[in-house]
Amino acid sequence: MINLYRALKKKMMLPMIFIVLFTMAFLFDDLSSIAQGYLNILQSPSVLISDYLHIGGLGATLFNVATIMLINILMLRALKLKMSGPIFAGLLTIAGFSFFGKNIFNTIPIYFGIYLHARHQRLPFKSFIIVVLFSTGISPIVSFLIFGTGWPYYIGIPAGTAAGILTGFTLPAISAHVIRFHKGYNLYNIGFAMGILSMLYAAILTTLFGFDLFVFESTTSEAYHTELLVLTLILSGIFIASGFINDPHVLKKYPKLLNSTGRLVSDFIRDAGRDISMVNVGVMGLISVLAITVLRIQINGAVMGGILTVMGFGAFGKHPRNSIPVMLGASIWFLLSPIVTGEEAGVGLAIAVLFVTAVAPIAGRFGIFLGIFAGFVHIVLTPFTYVFQGGFDLYNNGFAAGFVAALLVPVFEFLTKKKEVEEGEA
Amino acid sequence: MNNQEVKIISKIIRELSHYVMIHGYKNYTLETRIEEKVTYFKLSIQNPSKAMLEKMKEKVSRERELEVETYGWELIGDIDEKTELEILGLLIDEMVIEKKEDMTHITLIRESRYKE
Repeated sequence: MINLYRALKKKMMLPMIFIVLFTMAFLFDDLSSIAQGYLNILQSPSVLISDYLHIGGLGATLFNVATIMLINILMLRALKLKMSGPIFAGLLTIAGFSFFGKNIFNTIPIYFGIYLHARHQRLPFKSFIIVVLFSTGISPIVSFLIFGTGWPYYIGIPAGTAAGILTGFTLPAISAHVIRFHKGYNLYNIGFAMGILSMLYAAILTTLFGFDLFVFESTTSEAYHTELLVLTLILSGIFIASGFINDPHVLKKYPKLLNSTGRLVSDFIRDAGRDISMVNVGVMGLISVLAITVLRIQINGAVMGGILTVMGFGAFGKHPRNSIPVMLGASIWFLLSPIVTGEEAGVGLAIAVLFVTAVAPIAGRFGIFLGIFAGFVHIVLTPFTYVFQGGFDLYNNGFAAGFVAALLVPVFEFLTKKKEVEEGEA
Repeated sequence: MNNQEVKIISKIIRELSHYVMIHGYKNYTLETRIEEKVTYFKLSIQNPSKAMLEKMKEKVSRERELEVETYGWELIGDIDEKTELEILGLLIDEMVIEKKEDMTHITLIRESRYKE
């Protein structure tokens, strides 16, 4: 207990989370089960939605999450980067998506591609760290070309690796460019950039090579709901406790953080301080738990990915004031969908209730009611963007959110500006 | 000069002009001096409000962040009342404010870190 207190006091949360996940992996499964499950994860095509809990089991999945986190933490240390909001969000997003799509095998070529981009631009690799940490959302393209095409490995491995490197090489330029499309109101901007790239890959693979991209089974496992719910509560508690341990009066800083619109690039650690950002991260975890409990959503790999991503962005744009309205908007369609369509709401809609917070800055800027509307529009759009991009972009909600923000923000700005003029004239 | 540096300098000029205008100042000058490794932006305004200057001090005196040079800088120049100068502050190394009679001169200094 004293060691935990010291770790929190020293702000060593991320290495501690790695240790917790790594230890839990071996608590739930034995070594041989983890090894077999991990091999299954590495050989999976990993396209949306490949639930590693179903493919490899809980122990292997936690091992996958822990190892990817470790590699990224070590990379950050080697680059001598200090913790910032985007870096924190990037790490937790990586952890989240390591439950359903990211593994060590399919992420490395993309990192290497960004390294080549940095060399080409004659800029330090670490200046691309934000893109690096979010880049692996498109990692299924690597796994698909190697394990999903049926090609022999001597073709599949070079093709997958080359696609990963090419993606990494082009991604910084594309993500910088598309941010203007939605004016920074989509927090998953790199997900949007990757959606566009994925759309191209999907078109090439279906049109030129005749692949059916939706042939893969999208089975999820809800068998570990209780364990993952407890894990989320523990993590949320750790983050909240760390804020209070380091500053007992930390809540005094919360109004400043809540007052932010959350629009890119809102680094809460820089703007409001690290301790209150960690409290906010924990609060966002609790809000996620509340949402899935009320909506009776069972936790599988994808839902867990959503929860960790929402928590991570608690340091980079999301807070209760801007997130709850859009989550409410998405929840309306989640509840109405079975009545309207006659089919049970699937996992895609379940995770959209969490990932809808990509458009949280819309609520932060334009208020609760327009935020609810944006959340509703988002969840209606996500199934269509999934079909466009073929499942290669794990951040499908980021892809959808780019369109939602680009469509709604100009209209909302127009309406707000008109109101301001009227107020000024009065 | 590196093409990326040219784009960022142009955006900074746009954001500064936008910032001054949306605060209601119609009479100002903005000089830009580009040297080999440093760019100076000198904004001269007659009797600027204290609130506007304080806001500039708060937002622009932040530590420069190299990550923003590759992600987010494209958003500067497109601002609203809540997000103005948020990103610009991360692209500037130093700010100097001088007052001469009723004129206030605000100089922003940016070092180029791009290799030719």
